[in-house]
Amino acid sequence: MSLVNEDEALIAAALNGSAYAWEKLVKRYETQIFNYSVRLTGNSSDAMDLMQEVFLGVYRNLHRFRGDAKFSSWIFRIAHNKAVDMNRRRRLLSNQLRINDDEFDILDILPGDTGNEPDEKLGTQQQNGKITRMLARLSLEQRLVVEFKVFQSLTFDEIAVMQDISANTVKTRFYTALKKLKAVSEENNVLS
Amino acid sequence: MSCPKTQHLLQEYFSDDLTPLSKKEIENHIYSCEQCSNELEFFLLAQNKMQGWKDQRVPHWDRGTELFKREHHQGRTETKFWNRWLWVPTAVSLVMFCALLFNLSVVSSEQEFSISFGAKSFDRQLQSQLIEFQQQQRAEMDVLVLQVEDWVNSGNVQLMRTVMEQAQEAAVENLDRIYAYFEQQRLRDLEDMRVGYQELVNSDYETIRSLQQLAQFHSYQGSTVR
Repeated sequence: MSLVNEDEALIAAALNGSAYAWEKLVKRYETQIFNYSVRLTGNSSDAMDLMQEVFLGVYRNLHRFRGDAKFSSWIFRIAHNKAVDMNRRRRLLSNQLRINDDEFDILDILPGDTGNEPDEKLGTQQQNGKITRMLARLSLEQRLVVEFKVFQSLTFDEIAVMQDISANTVKTRFYTALKKLKAVSEENNVLS
Repeated sequence: MSCPKTQHLLQEYFSDDLTPLSKKEIENHIYSCEQCSNELEFFLLAQNKMQGWKDQRVPHWDRGTELFKREHHQGRTETKFWNRWLWVPTAVSLVMFCALLFNLSVVSSEQEFSISFGAKSFDRQLQSQLIEFQQQQRAEMDVLVLQVEDWVNSGNVQLMRTVMEQAQEAAVENLDRIYAYFEQQRLRDLEDMRVGYQELVNSDYETIRSLQQLAQFHSYQGSTVR
């Protein structure tokens, strides 16, 4: 059975009241959604909140899933909406990330730019921490575009549909995001 | 010098629907334009670095299964079980409570079987049984007291007899010791007296001998004078 068909079977069973099917469905996507949430919120605690909201949204709307699109696309659309809602409600994602600007330098994690290769033994936490600190420089809109383009490998058109904006706007946001990262990196170089 | 094409070309470069011809044109420009080349290099490095993200493990959570079960009424089986089985102890408890509340009495004997509320007949029977039991207990207690008294008396007599015997034996022993002591003392005194008399006799003999010698001397003196 393919993954898509397996998703559909689990959804059908969950809609019929199978708690086992629901748990299995959640297990299939929780790692993706949790890491998506960590990259957007910058910390595990807020990421757990966001992830739980996403799966609550999935649970509430599961009966509306028609199977026209892939379940993964559908769940990430919910994840996108929940991230926007959460940001609007709590202002956590863009304004309250606890990032120390002085410590951040994108060149630290870019091989070759400074001649300092990342340590091979660098733990997952440190490696991911640098990426989240980098992403924290972006606005939520930019971060979401980078997330879907780089981490979820969606096309600009798919992102545009998900966010209800034009593909050109998505491209512009992506380009602006990368430009901003470059500007921050250069600024830190000048200051240092 | 700033390149006016950089933004447009790089946006298109990351498009997924780029035709091979368009891609070739963009790449040609990028290789010839230092600004576009630098920017693309940075973008690719940044993208590459971000793709080095390592998935973190999800902390433990209930995955919404409690909510799912609650909303799908999956606790119903437990309710059915309760309805089916737990009414028995509940009913028994209720009956016992009523029996206590109304002071229910059930009397079953060879003569009768009666159920009464308030338990008056039961009280009367219980009272008579209690009196009878009390009398029986009292009689048994009297017998026991007598037995104990006898036992105590016999024990006392036995004890006194033993004490007397022991005292008697002790007295005889003491008298024997006193008698032996006096006898020993008497023999010692007799010995002392015998020694004393012997010494006295010896001194008397000495005295007589001296007197004899004196008398012999005087007689010898008298004869010589004559």
